[in-house]
Amino acid sequence: MRSSPTTSSRSIAAVLAALAACLAISTAATAQTAGRQQAPPGALVYFHYPLDGLRVPERFTVRIGLRNMGVAPAGIDQARTGHHHLLIDTDPGPPDQPIPSDYNNIHLGNGQTEVIVTLPKGRHTLQLLLGDHRHIPHDPPVMSQKITVYVR
Amino acid sequence: MVKAALRLVPAALGLVLATLLALTSAPAQQRSPAPRTAKLSFVGLADNAKVPGKFTVRFAVTEMEVAPAGQTRRNTGHHHLLIDTDLPPLDQPIPADFNHIHFGGGQTETEIALTPGKHTLQLLFADHAHIPHDPPVMSERITVEVVADPADKPRSSAAPGAKVFFVDLADGATIPSRAKIRFGSEGVAITPAGTASQNGGHHHLLVDTELPALDREIPSDFNHLHFGRGQTEVDLDLPPGEHTLQLLMGDHDHVPHDPPVMSERIRVRVVAAQGATPASPAPAARARQASPNDATVYFIYPKDGDTIFPTSTIRFGLRNMGVAPAGVAKPNTGHHHLLIDTPTPNLDEPIPADLNHIHLGGGQTEQRVTLPPGMHTFQLLLADEKHIPHDPPVMSERITVTVMPGGPRATRRR
Repeated sequence: MRSSPTTSSRSIAAVLAALAACLAISTAATAQTAGRQQAPPGALVYFHYPLDGLRVPERFTVRIGLRNMGVAPAGIDQARTGHHHLLIDTDPGPPDQPIPSDYNNIHLGNGQTEVIVTLPKGRHTLQLLLGDHRHIPHDPPVMSQKITVYVR
Repeated sequence: MVKAALRLVPAALGLVLATLLALTSAPAQQRSPAPRTAKLSFVGLADNAKVPGKFTVRFAVTEMEVAPAGQTRRNTGHHHLLIDTDLPPLDQPIPADFNHIHFGGGQTETEIALTPGKHTLQLLFADHAHIPHDPPVMSERITVEVVADPADKPRSSAAPGAKVFFVDLADGATIPSRAKIRFGSEGVAITPAGTASQNGGHHHLLVDTELPALDREIPSDFNHLHFGRGQTEVDLDLPPGEHTLQLLMGDHDHVPHDPPVMSERIRVRVVAAQGATPASPAPAARARQASPNDATVYFIYPKDGDTIFPTSTIRFGLRNMGVAPAGVAKPNTGHHHLLIDTPTPNLDEPIPADLNHIHLGGGQTEQRVTLPPGMHTFQLLLADEKHIPHDPPVMSERITVTVMPGGPRATRRR
């Protein structure tokens, strides 16, 4: 699926790497274990909105932040990237299994970094979990804290 | 085993009892005994019941008594409600999470909210240390179905004979990667989303997806395209290959009608336009990729007029599109570019790569920058896999921030 980079985009990537030294993007793919993709050190996924304990309306936008990694749509096998999953009122499953796709596990497979959710009134938990191109969490899993919101 | 015993008894007696228990070598975990006739059940909630999204569950126990967790009295325990999960191991404390709800205060009812669909509920009694009794006292596992309250939101009725269809597009057709898809309708008035009208509605195009649930809002994502302003055609960009298309009419609230007004699901074959072969990145490759009309890129931090530290993390937000690393060709995606102290570049050309145009080609959604003190401008510009901005361009306002060695002095907005 992934198109091979042209020489121009590769040279741009080289300039980029020099520029974004703090992110230290290496063009070489990080070593991949047989199963799960390695998570880069310092990778962190977190909520911009909502925050833990917040009261929110029934329909609200969840905004997702990601540090030291990049976002790629599902199906794109590229080191140091993944796509977001929003876990609502559920716990993460076994880390070596693909994240299920249902009403509790919302896949943002097109590389989205925010999603509008509608929840019934009451208390709900939200958690973010990054998955690789096959929807399998990285090793170690890149996930946020589980936060609680109160839908009023 | 000694460890488990220690957990069970008050600390003062712990050492003595632990030794005693170790000597008597009881089998496995210390489970409290329960009378064989003890029964646990739901009150007024039958198997396969239909329930609203939020309802009260009541518990009943016979031959035993309810005591708050932590109290060690014979023949007592407290309730646990297991939602959508199997029985946990019966010789260990019941886990505490959102599938295993503890009623350690001795509650005998609770209000729970469930998403629409089928769910399983089961009650499990456990002793002061949350360990099920021996034999375990538990209810049947029942299944309940949450139905959207019909009185709350009646589905709009469809006029008899109403139908939607694709104009000049048959099952099995071959179309270019950018094709105009036209929607036809009969017996149904096209009205924009949000405008309630008798039998009216607006189109939704389902791309490569099954029919969604018909009793609720059609999802809004890259597989479910909404035409909420009453559009009857779209320029659709699809990668080469087999795809499925289906039309589904939704009412003012995006909920399908009753009965649903929808077309057949058709298969189309998308072939790359001529000249777009990988060997020749010719005019076709130069064409700017289309972006959704409502796509927006914006700064989460900082905001216009903020005062920031010399080294700050700039955070980007993107609405109605996705992020993909540079080099990845996928409709409705792109990667961020942070333009610092520079005017908007030519939108028909690849964005230059220099110190003023920072490419986030790895799909990053934030970037740490270090800037000299003073006024600076930031602007975000999304671009496709070849670093060319979309059409229409997805770019943010140009914001002005002040860099201060001491950082923000005034109160900062989040």
